[in-house]
Amino acid sequence: MTDEQDIDMLAAEYVLGTLPADERAAVALRARHDEPLAAAIAAWEWRLAPLNETIVPRDVPAHVWARIEARLHRIGDAPGAAVTSLVGMERRLRRWRAAAVAATAIAASLVLFVGFRELTRPEPEKTLVAVLQKDAQSPAFLVSVDLEQKLLTIRVVAAPPHPGKSYELWLVHDDLKSPRSLGVIGEGPFTVVQPKLAAYAPQTIEQATLAVSLEPEGGSPTGAPTGPVLYAGKLIQATE
Amino acid sequence: MLKETAAAELTALLARVAARDREAFAVVYRSTSAKLWGIILRILPRRDVAEDVLQDVYVRIWERAGSFDPAKASPITWMASIARHRAIDEIRRRRLVSIEETPEALEVAESGADPLESAEQSEDLRRLNECLEGLEPERREMILLAYYSGLSRDELAQRFSHPVNTIKTWLHRSLAQLRKCLGS
Repeated sequence: MTDEQDIDMLAAEYVLGTLPADERAAVALRARHDEPLAAAIAAWEWRLAPLNETIVPRDVPAHVWARIEARLHRIGDAPGAAVTSLVGMERRLRRWRAAAVAATAIAASLVLFVGFRELTRPEPEKTLVAVLQKDAQSPAFLVSVDLEQKLLTIRVVAAPPHPGKSYELWLVHDDLKSPRSLGVIGEGPFTVVQPKLAAYAPQTIEQATLAVSLEPEGGSPTGAPTGPVLYAGKLIQATE
Repeated sequence: MLKETAAAELTALLARVAARDREAFAVVYRSTSAKLWGIILRILPRRDVAEDVLQDVYVRIWERAGSFDPAKASPITWMASIARHRAIDEIRRRRLVSIEETPEALEVAESGADPLESAEQSEDLRRLNECLEGLEPERREMILLAYYSGLSRDELAQRFSHPVNTIKTWLHRSLAQLRKCLGS
């Protein structure tokens, strides 16, 4: 199969909706800068769009419009400053450390576990987790986000060290014009990100893709990813 | 509703939305939300979840109206794509383990309208239907279930009792055949 056919099938399955969550997130991320892929996606949307004609319109509950208007009013408001006591941060870190002790082997079962917990508990939760990976067999980082505290913890699972280079974490969301840096991932087993996350609405964080790129030591000199995006993943809900 | 709001009119409204015209946005919402709601509900039968997604979709339309390019897509296709992608992202996030937890999703899929029975067909839909009819029935059903109800490869594999790699191969062949048939 040629590259062009690969791109076309990736776009086709992305539009059809059949890709697994991680591949789907990777395609959405790549399409932002990959013009041929973006064009292939647009072409497939156009090819399959006639099917939308057959979908029966349904009556929208009246309160939805009021909620949309309320959200539009909120857009542009300054995000509330999240203040966390050091004690609280440490407690959360300890809990996360205890939960994620066995690295690679745990990563896959972690997704199943939190996925299961999520399905059995319909109440919205405040803690999100993500496995950042190249493919299902190679999880590189584990991320947990406390939405209430706007506290993100990233744990190195199996990302190989690159002397003279730094891994940098990015928040990617359709509503943001470009990927936003959440900072350089430290050399130690854990890195905690907080002030940078406080700038984003919980909803944005919840829907975002987290991506890790390889940058010159100390992070991207331009504020945008300059190196290859090596790992990416979506946040899913977990329990405290 | 949608039929009365011609594409050109909707395009003009979106240009006003890009200029932060809330009145125009309200008209866009009134003329398109029932359709997008229908699309989202097919993928996300849980209404509380679907309502959140519908809100997100219109906030995105408000924020991204400036990037809509009428040369590249019709306005309703552009909006429907935003709705489908957002709904599928949500269902993938929620169905990480198994669709057994949400059996109603499949019931909705089964009761869904068959595009071949759609009374009023546009020329584009008629052509697409001819090409869909060229697929083997089981493979055609896979494509339609995926498009309308957001089934993933894994879910199609469970439903049709084939290995997921077989499903992937069939999907690719079906999509390649559709593309060839559509001649584009």
